[in-house]
Amino acid sequence: MGSEITGQTLWGQLEERFGRRQFLLKAGWAFFYLFLGGWLLSNLKYLFPNVLYEPTLLFKAGRPEEFPLGISEKWKKAQRVWVVRTPRGFYCFWARCTHLGCTPNWFEAEGRFKCPCHGSNFNADGDVIAGPAPKPLWRCSVQLANDGQLVIDKARLENRPQLREQGDFFLPFQES
Amino acid sequence: MADQDPSPALLQWLKRTKLWKSIFRHDFSDTPRTRLQRIFGNVFLHLHPVRTPKDALRVTYTWGMGGLSFYAFLILVITGILLMFYYRPTTIHAFQDMKDLAYAVTLGGLLRNMHRWAAHLMVVVVILHMIRVFLTGAYKPPREYNWVVGVLLLVMTLFLSYTGYLLPWDQLALWAVTVGAQMAANTPVIGNEGPFRLPFITTANDARFGLIGGTIVGDATLIRFYVLHCVAVPFLFCVFLCVHLWRVRKDGFSKQTGEKVDVWPHLVSREFLAALLVTIILFVWSMALQAPLEELANLNVTPNPSKAPWYFVGLQELLVYFDPWIAGVALPGLIVAGLICIPYVDGNPKGIGRYPAMGWKRMGPLRLWYPTERPFAVSVFMLGVVLWFALIFVGYYCRGPNWEWYMPGELWSHRRITKLTLKNLPNLWGGLLLLGYLLEGTPMPKAVKARLIASKGPNAPARISALLHLGLGLVMSTALILPLVTAMDADFPVRSRYPTLFEALGRAPNAPVMSWLYRTVEGLGPALGTGLILACIGVLGAVLGILGLKFASFKDRMFDELGLVKYSIVIGLFLMMTGVLGKVMLRLLFGMKYLIAFPGLSFNI
Repeated sequence: MGSEITGQTLWGQLEERFGRRQFLLKAGWAFFYLFLGGWLLSNLKYLFPNVLYEPTLLFKAGRPEEFPLGISEKWKKAQRVWVVRTPRGFYCFWARCTHLGCTPNWFEAEGRFKCPCHGSNFNADGDVIAGPAPKPLWRCSVQLANDGQLVIDKARLENRPQLREQGDFFLPFQES
Repeated sequence: MADQDPSPALLQWLKRTKLWKSIFRHDFSDTPRTRLQRIFGNVFLHLHPVRTPKDALRVTYTWGMGGLSFYAFLILVITGILLMFYYRPTTIHAFQDMKDLAYAVTLGGLLRNMHRWAAHLMVVVVILHMIRVFLTGAYKPPREYNWVVGVLLLVMTLFLSYTGYLLPWDQLALWAVTVGAQMAANTPVIGNEGPFRLPFITTANDARFGLIGGTIVGDATLIRFYVLHCVAVPFLFCVFLCVHLWRVRKDGFSKQTGEKVDVWPHLVSREFLAALLVTIILFVWSMALQAPLEELANLNVTPNPSKAPWYFVGLQELLVYFDPWIAGVALPGLIVAGLICIPYVDGNPKGIGRYPAMGWKRMGPLRLWYPTERPFAVSVFMLGVVLWFALIFVGYYCRGPNWEWYMPGELWSHRRITKLTLKNLPNLWGGLLLLGYLLEGTPMPKAVKARLIASKGPNAPARISALLHLGLGLVMSTALILPLVTAMDADFPVRSRYPTLFEALGRAPNAPVMSWLYRTVEGLGPALGTGLILACIGVLGAVLGILGLKFASFKDRMFDELGLVKYSIVIGLFLMMTGVLGKVMLRLLFGMKYLIAFPGLSFNI
């Protein structure tokens, strides 16, 4: 008995709120606005291109013997990377500040990379010493191609300690 | 009648033709009737009311800033349309077209210069217009909504400058936009490098990608910014401009004193003179000064230093002190939101239609020139303006190669040896400092006061308030200084030569307070040194505490007047503003990088 009354009032409330007579009309408008909103929203995706016409991020950097020990700026202007040769092998920095994407410069005397846009300083390992950059410099994958040249891939990046010093991100090399 | 008309016969005949009469619907003799007809019979002049209070016409009231912003916009539209005839938005052509405009196209250089300088002028004038409107209380009811529209127009003005900045495709353009776009990549949640990034967000689908249409600033970006700059934003701007001007008419002018005079000729002639003056200034400016054009954009090489245009250089300087998601996204967003909030949280009905009265006020040993009317609103707003321009000054005049500090006029050296060092506070201490700072905003509502008086006696509220503020001051100074002199340096031994923060910062060239403290403590020996450090904590704590206490009764009053929601907005924005100043000081004086750092989440403060 009690539940029946509650049921009726609930039905009554619903009817009052959505209106039996007006229901189809209101539902129609609701669907119209839903469609309009959905269509407008889906146009956001229109602003995200599906095909990119951008230069490839992979390039051949020449033979390893051509690089002296230390940080080489040879490819900075053309490919935006520093190739670093240590007594044990090669790694490669993407010359892009992890703060807001400017190209830092290498200062041999201080052993630091310094960014011209907001003053971030990185040491020779790419770790942040000063300035606003939140993360170490990215390292690119370095491999040896069949023709004996270094292949550098800026699409594959790593900057976590340990991980960045192994696998594709460090190329062991000793001149025979 | 016709015999008395002194104009030449030909003109008299012309005025009788059907053609003339179809275009000009009234005669132009200076009678009260034609004065009105000129305004409401002309679609453009119809923007004006036909009569306006005399005092509103005073140049020293409005400085004509609103009208001049509009005029600068008109000049930009006209010069912009003309520039479009020669400009192609592709990376191959854009820079060449700029050179052609400057050197090969007849009067092209002048047009380009005018477009650039008028854009600078518009930014200045729009900012001054906003300051004027604030100071004369013209945002108060019933004009709240028009203030909001005005803020949106300011944002659009800056966005137009930003998008236009890329089009010359020179180094200046590319790097300003690279940095600006990278800020979008730091947007929380939907930016690839922002905090709390969603798991499916990558560099190829984040906010930056949507803005520049690719992963690098290139052809896609150029056409995108071209469309935004030449069509989309100007269209939106016009829509909001219509609303803005229409609301000025509907809400009435803020100055309503003085007898009413005819807008034609009193206002129209002033507007004409102002426009003439600005045109002459822009012409001379554009003939004397070339608009900057650096070398062709190079995606791999950044000029050193690389500076944004002056109106963004304050933002660039701000980015030095905070993570990009704070300085580039959160703070600008909050500044705009805060500006929009102003008319809705400022319940003070006083001060509409006049500049606030100023007077000398003693504050401790200082004598301050202080607004006696609306003191809080005016001083907080002006503090914000001054801070913003101080950041611009520092960025523009005090930053040299590698964005290092140089005194204005000091010779720059690209090879100066400067070993900057920054350190983080340990998270718990930093968090405590931040918490202590935010709690400074706590008010003591009337009800609490009454209950305290009832239970603990009449002096209890004052006693507890003093205890709270001095306690918070002490907490803040302890949380700042104690870890700096005791904590180990997490970077040691890999990235730092020194095992403790004290030594690392004490020997750094960029933390003057820390190096002074380090040297002094070293000279004094352990016992006296510890005493000095404790004294420093005590003094700084007392200063911070007394500063908070000074505002205690004001906070309580404000809370009782505004209620919880409005009070939280006001105090939140105020604490944010002074907090920015505080963080800047921590960076410049203490060599502090982050208070709280979670690099894994890209969440650093």
